[in-house]
Amino acid sequence: MTRHSGRRPPGTPRPLRIALPIVATVAIVAPLAWLWQDSWVPAVYSVMDMGHPDYGAGAVPDTSGGGGHGGHMQGQMPDHDMPTPRLVTDMIADPARPADIRVDLVTRQQMLTVAGRSIAGFSVNGTSPGPQILARQGQLVEVHLRNESVADGVTLHWHGVDVPNAMDGVAGVTQDAVPVGGEFTYRFVAKQAGTYWYHSHQVSNPQVAGGLLGSLVVTPKSGIVQQVDVTAVAHTYGGMRTINGKAEDFRVPARAGQRVRIRVTNTDNGPMKIWTGGSYRLLALDGTDVHQPTDVSDRSLTVTAGGRADLEVTAPSDGTAVRVQLSKATAVIIGPPGVDVPVPPQPASELDLLAYGTPAPLGFDPAHPTRRFEYRIGRRPGFVKGRPGLWWSINGRLFPHVPMYVVREGDVVVMHIENQTGEVHPMHLHGHHEVVLARNGVAASGSPWWVDSLNVPPGESYDIAFMANNPGIWMDHCHNLKHAAQGMIAHLMYEGLDTPYRIAGPADNQPE
Amino acid sequence: MRAAYKVLAYLVAAEVAVQAMVMVWGIAGLGKWVDGGGVFDKVVIESEGTPPFPEVAGIIAHGINGFFVIPGIALLLLIASFFTRVRGAIKWAVIVFVLVILQGQLGGLGHDFPLAGALHGLNALALFGAAIYTGRRLRAAAAAAAEQPEARTAAPV
Repeated sequence: MTRHSGRRPPGTPRPLRIALPIVATVAIVAPLAWLWQDSWVPAVYSVMDMGHPDYGAGAVPDTSGGGGHGGHMQGQMPDHDMPTPRLVTDMIADPARPADIRVDLVTRQQMLTVAGRSIAGFSVNGTSPGPQILARQGQLVEVHLRNESVADGVTLHWHGVDVPNAMDGVAGVTQDAVPVGGEFTYRFVAKQAGTYWYHSHQVSNPQVAGGLLGSLVVTPKSGIVQQVDVTAVAHTYGGMRTINGKAEDFRVPARAGQRVRIRVTNTDNGPMKIWTGGSYRLLALDGTDVHQPTDVSDRSLTVTAGGRADLEVTAPSDGTAVRVQLSKATAVIIGPPGVDVPVPPQPASELDLLAYGTPAPLGFDPAHPTRRFEYRIGRRPGFVKGRPGLWWSINGRLFPHVPMYVVREGDVVVMHIENQTGEVHPMHLHGHHEVVLARNGVAASGSPWWVDSLNVPPGESYDIAFMANNPGIWMDHCHNLKHAAQGMIAHLMYEGLDTPYRIAGPADNQPE
Repeated sequence: MRAAYKVLAYLVAAEVAVQAMVMVWGIAGLGKWVDGGGVFDKVVIESEGTPPFPEVAGIIAHGINGFFVIPGIALLLLIASFFTRVRGAIKWAVIVFVLVILQGQLGGLGHDFPLAGALHGLNALALFGAAIYTGRRLRAAAAAAAEQPEARTAAPV
């Protein structure tokens, strides 16, 4: 710091006395101004131009840039001698195959009534959550979406289902937002049995919070062994905790000794702790069965934002009921109608999924990956879209200077996810299921821990792996959708692919 | 510019007082709500729409003030200090600025290590004192400078 204040020696030249403060001011303001202007994104842009390509020490495509664009927001056009990239719109289910299940969904912007209170929100076919879509493994599901009145436009994303890319429902990446009066048809084969959900991925932060969502369950071909199968969609409307849209406990009638499958779906922005009075078994997580699960008692289970957990709970043999707490606020009560039990205390410790169940083959070898990526989440002061603040960074840089993870079909990908911030981040990769290899350097020793939504608490790190077997451009983002809206978004893209859609643009696509 | 400097310094002090008030207001509201059977967890914190209890506004205001408004004022104070031509004005603007940055860091760190939150509370007092002193000393320093003939010639800035 220059010392030029106060009573100055008479010899100080006057021009210097005027110039120095101005120089000091410029020295402070100019870098801020540069950072400010650097944080803007163009009015219309392709996600292909976002950030910088990261090849994860794997093969670099022959042509410069990932799928034809230049990267770094330079807006470069593809060279003429480059091969024509395939488009995300080509990634569809067999168009010749007739649908096994047809569902019509109509989205509306409307007032919702929750616990007698009126809340501005969204509905699907008049309710929130929308209707549950029930499919059997292997069926082709066809969903016809019509947006009746959601002013910002809507899409439907099939959270946890590894759909063909064109069906992923991300506005500005895999489709245009469906405007009022517009329509879109989603077609995908429900290959994997499990618990999923659907939600809008256009202006998703307010739309999902406002209830534009629903449950999707795929039952296995062989059926399930439990006598009772229920879904509990947890959602918070304007601070009011609900299960399946009702701000009250969810009663599931069951006779003594009956086994009940509870498909807990966390549609909120924060992780939810669940626990029971007796014991439970974690049958599946994020649509993937746990291998040889055992009974758990005195342990809570964390279901991260966007995550699902299938629990098995047996109705008590003595004719009483058992509570499955979805946080302290709401519960699923299993037992004879009208019978209740006190709220069980929240266990002090948590079920450790790193060592739950027993190992099973993964179907690929993560010991010899062809790509290694880093997804380090930080937080630092700076500007995003011209707004000053403490923003989420990915690998040290702020949106839009985020990594574009480039893979080739068939790659074995390993990713190190590390949370260096003070807040938990539910990390969600579209189109793929990833398996946890290690947490904080400790190798997984239980059942393969497959997730599509991974809870990464402050200070923790995860090593995950997945097979690059679903070509497309896929979001890899924080499912605390507020954080996504604040720029915690990266993409996984397959080389040689491109998207015809644009962020913003005529359809006003805003996926976050 | 001296008037601006003084106002900005006092503004920092006033903001620190506001910060203490809104935070305790928010926590008092939280306590009352929990006492009435309310559940406050990450899901509620991150939910949209009507807050579960009105005093949440205090916690939100604390964040906005602390992350944006106060650092902004401290930065303007620093810039103003270059133009005051009063001995020590820059030094004290730097001290206030550093304490503001430190305060934000301690506040953020408190989410990981709650004990840092205790230092956040202590540093608030240091910042409040420094900001008041920065504003008050300018008058005295300016008066002293006014008695110096060479300062008088450079006066009206």
